[in-house]
Amino acid sequence: MGTTVNGTPTQIGADPATTAAEFVRDGLGLTGTKTACNAGVCGSCTLLLDGTPAASCLLPVTALEGRAVTTVEGVGDGAEHPVQRAFAAHDAMQCGYCTPGFVVEAAAFVDRHRAEHGDTAPTRDEIADALAGHLCRCGAYPGIYAAVAAACAGEHDDDAAASAPPRAEAAEKVSGRARYTTDVRPEGCWEAVIVRSTRAHAQVQSVDAGGAPQVDLLGADRTVRYVGQPLLAVAAPTAAKARAAAEQVRVDYRDLPAAVDPATTHRPEAPVVYPTRAERGAALTHAEGGVPPARWRGNVRGPFSLGWRGATAVKRIGDAARRGDPRLVTGAFQTPAQVHTPLEPHACVARWDDSGGLHLHASTQSVMALAEAAAKHWDLPRERVHVTAEHVGGGFGAKAGLRVENIAAAELARATGAPVRLVFHRAAELTDAGHRPGARIEVNLLAGPGGDLAALTMDAYSDGGASIGGTVAVMGRLVYGHAPRRLRDFDVVTHRPPGAPFRGPNGAQLLWALEQSVDDAAHRLGEDPIALRRRWDGNRKRHALYDWAAALPVWRERSKGAASGRFRRGVGMAAANWLYLLDRSTAVDLVVEDGTVVAETGVQDIGTGARSVVADVVRGELGLPAERVAVRTGSSDLAYAPASTGSRTTASLGPAARDAAAKLREEASRRAEGAPGGSGGLDAAALAALEGVRVRGGRRRDRRGYVTPFSLSDGGTVGRGFTGAVHVMEVEVDTLLGTVRPTRCWAGISAGRMYAERPARNQCEGGVVQGIGYALYEQRRDDPLTGAVLTANLEDYRIPGIGDTPEITVHFHEKGWEHVTGGGVGIGEVSTIGVAAAVGNAVFDATGWRPHDLPIRPDRLLEGIGAK
Amino acid sequence: MARLSEGLAAAPFTDLHRVRELRGVEWRADGSARIGSTTTVAEIAADARLRSAYPALTATAGALATPQIRAVATLGGNLLQRNRCPYYRSAAFDCLQKGGDSCPARAGDHLHGTAVDQGADCVAPHPSSLAVALLAYGADVEVEGAGPRPVGDLYDGSDSTRDHVLEAGALVTGVALPVPAAGESAAYRRATSRSRAEWPLVEAVVRVVRTGGAVTEAAVAAGAVARTPLRLPEVERALVGASGPDAAAAAVAPVPALCSPLPQTGYKAVLLRDTVRDALERALEPQGGA
Repeated sequence: MGTTVNGTPTQIGADPATTAAEFVRDGLGLTGTKTACNAGVCGSCTLLLDGTPAASCLLPVTALEGRAVTTVEGVGDGAEHPVQRAFAAHDAMQCGYCTPGFVVEAAAFVDRHRAEHGDTAPTRDEIADALAGHLCRCGAYPGIYAAVAAACAGEHDDDAAASAPPRAEAAEKVSGRARYTTDVRPEGCWEAVIVRSTRAHAQVQSVDAGGAPQVDLLGADRTVRYVGQPLLAVAAPTAAKARAAAEQVRVDYRDLPAAVDPATTHRPEAPVVYPTRAERGAALTHAEGGVPPARWRGNVRGPFSLGWRGATAVKRIGDAARRGDPRLVTGAFQTPAQVHTPLEPHACVARWDDSGGLHLHASTQSVMALAEAAAKHWDLPRERVHVTAEHVGGGFGAKAGLRVENIAAAELARATGAPVRLVFHRAAELTDAGHRPGARIEVNLLAGPGGDLAALTMDAYSDGGASIGGTVAVMGRLVYGHAPRRLRDFDVVTHRPPGAPFRGPNGAQLLWALEQSVDDAAHRLGEDPIALRRRWDGNRKRHALYDWAAALPVWRERSKGAASGRFRRGVGMAAANWLYLLDRSTAVDLVVEDGTVVAETGVQDIGTGARSVVADVVRGELGLPAERVAVRTGSSDLAYAPASTGSRTTASLGPAARDAAAKLREEASRRAEGAPGGSGGLDAAALAALEGVRVRGGRRRDRRGYVTPFSLSDGGTVGRGFTGAVHVMEVEVDTLLGTVRPTRCWAGISAGRMYAERPARNQCEGGVVQGIGYALYEQRRDDPLTGAVLTANLEDYRIPGIGDTPEITVHFHEKGWEHVTGGGVGIGEVSTIGVAAAVGNAVFDATGWRPHDLPIRPDRLLEGIGAK
Repeated sequence: MARLSEGLAAAPFTDLHRVRELRGVEWRADGSARIGSTTTVAEIAADARLRSAYPALTATAGALATPQIRAVATLGGNLLQRNRCPYYRSAAFDCLQKGGDSCPARAGDHLHGTAVDQGADCVAPHPSSLAVALLAYGADVEVEGAGPRPVGDLYDGSDSTRDHVLEAGALVTGVALPVPAAGESAAYRRATSRSRAEWPLVEAVVRVVRTGGAVTEAAVAAGAVARTPLRLPEVERALVGASGPDAAAAAVAPVPALCSPLPQTGYKAVLLRDTVRDALERALEPQGGA
């Protein structure tokens, strides 16, 4: 059978059980086509069949017979398609894993639209309809809208007119050349599959994997504590054989009673997840750093308390409740498990070299920490471990440190003597790759007679499955001044999959409850919610954001009082506060090669724009054009760089790049003795004189030092000052069918100077999109009897699509960070954690009904507004 | 393919794309259409003659799934697809559709389950949107080696073990539609939480023919609420003869009483009523819906 792929006649196999996606990726090595969901949902596998986009992960390869197939590598007939230039120019991507699929679909749409309508921009709805079958977990949709509209309008036809795109690696990502770990397949590579527990709680008596190479992944206690827990991994020369070997594995379980319902796990009769002191000490955690100490009672751990005049707070609230004080706000809020589900699944390709060195190609957000942990785990000198992560298809917190896929792939590589590749299936990704734990949060908030905040109590019960580490309530210590407060955190454990840090861990849960309660207080006091926050919140940088938000026409001109009719518009806002972290050991090397300044640092780029930050700083400091600066990243053999966690990357990397540039400039002055040093750009002669020179820049100390004088266990340091955000959200509620449609959003961010403005804005836009997912759609659902995850595909676990994206305006308030070297800090977390509460407050404004449970599903909304 | 890779479907299977006779739209002398079973959903949605003859069908075809699925999904595949219940799709569970002896969704999570009891223990709604539209047209399904049968007879709402009544190896060759109704206006509506690309919580297809403002003919069908697509004759009867701005709201009033929801699907009774109402209001607009 024959087909034509990108103009080349090609033979195809006759087995219809092979998918077209497998054929182009594995058979032809055209890895620009991705497979992320394997269910026809996400669009990353989209190909053109005779010019029409089609999902290739569900298509038998035999269906390609006689057709003209175009992959992302062939879009534009060998040249760049205008839509590829448009995606680059409008920064219509972050991690880039979904980008080839979007590009293929958008190219067909743009060509068709221009043929039918000439060079005109389509409406947002037309673009959303055309791209409805694509998901971008980073939420780069605003750039995608802009890029597609501009390409349709003919703004990107001219190759030569293009200036350097805002993202350093844009060209690789729009062309499909960007190589991710899932695309790495060395010669002779074996495939590995993880075999997982089918029981929520059992003692594993024995495991029989036949003769397949295998590695045990179960702990020494031989106990499984959730459905989906890794038991072992097996490897075989092909993926099909590895799957078959996994199916042959026989596990002998001794079933034990399980506690899978977070609502009843506290009862005395519930089976205990961690019955012994030793087990409790080794309990799984979802915390980013350590876990604060607390007592256990059965399956409930806590409280871990923080507060300030806690007894006063409790007394004031008790008194107010007894006298029926209308200024007392009381509410119980609930948040679900939210799954990271980056479009590139967890993946690792491991290989041991002849001298015993370990090479890991890994989809990781911590290249350096992974290398260090691997060296420790396998007792190797650090320099014998080599971690590579050229491009990483998203992480959001779920890909940090040494993980099961790294251990399994490396052990199996040792057992087989071959490179071994392990890629999570989407079902595993949605079950056991971590999640933002759910929480139940009870809030009491009392306004005093003068309208001040008189007292606050919060009890938070975190549901991280079998893992502990909730610090939801205690994060409330950092906001709204110094009013008396009692803040208590509890972990409620069950036999369900463990959580992981997720973009603003604990913060999103806290703000869903707190920012709606503050809104409620404002309504009770008859005060503007922004004005109330401005009085209660002592943070000066956020004051600037409140002033900006209060002046927005959407806020000033919002109608007050309940709306009527089927479609109701509402406007809500929420504030957010987050820590400033940095990594003091960060270094950037600059080396001059062939007249180009090459910046080298180990940092991974998970879509946040780490490369662009380094490139922009070096270009700016040295006055160089884009083509004279290259960035080499994503390798543990390069200079030390931080993990992409805790919003710390840019605040660490930017200053180190600038320091390196300053050193190179000094060296240039030395070499050009007599020539003026000045601040002009390095010219060709200066670069020629620097050929071969290598300098290293470090991260210079902030003025006034840090909150934590020593580095934390993960290399981080807490710096001085808090980042802030204020989100204003406009929604339209359909009271007939129960939907909430976010229409416009304004995101004010206070994090100092932006090093790379467009990627920074992109990340803030993505924060809004993810927050909308949290507010309206995302909810991991588990079987109440077995604890098995039911939402194990991207149809049932619902992340926002392009049509769910409002028009977003990002505003950066850049002052207030003058004490920080480089003047700017991270935005990844503060830009998303308050969004859901802004949606909740907008829904209240529209309907008069305040949602307490996330997500705000149609059935809940209809019930809440009393539809009968 | 997804179920194959999960081990839920058994190879071998046959790729029918080369059987050209199964593909395309054929117009008969009486003005009615026959659509081959491997015609893609996108081809149905984009066919101008189908759109003027059977607007509810093309509107439904254009609204289901996503563009790149519609480009490869076929009419026959859509009618015979398996249900979306996560218990059925997950290898971790036995269920009535997989030879088990009980329905785990009943005792477990059935938020997206049925809301109309047809006598089955299985609670998975039928997923085919095209079947809802074809039911509203009273179309016939042609099965090789057997006579044509009404589309409704492809399904048995009391059977918990399968999503359609055909035996393995049976081949749907096409669908025959009746002679188009002149002056029909139609609408398709699905209730979802996201704006696009989501399986419906409930869905509705409506067709109305009006003479001088009053409805003379009406067909109303609903999906995602029962083990099979459903006609709603109570609503149809209430519509005939109705006119004016409140016709839709009045006609759908009996819908909740027709439902027999499960503990977690009570919302579907109200949502079905209002989704049908929304579709009817569109179809009854002066210009007339899709």
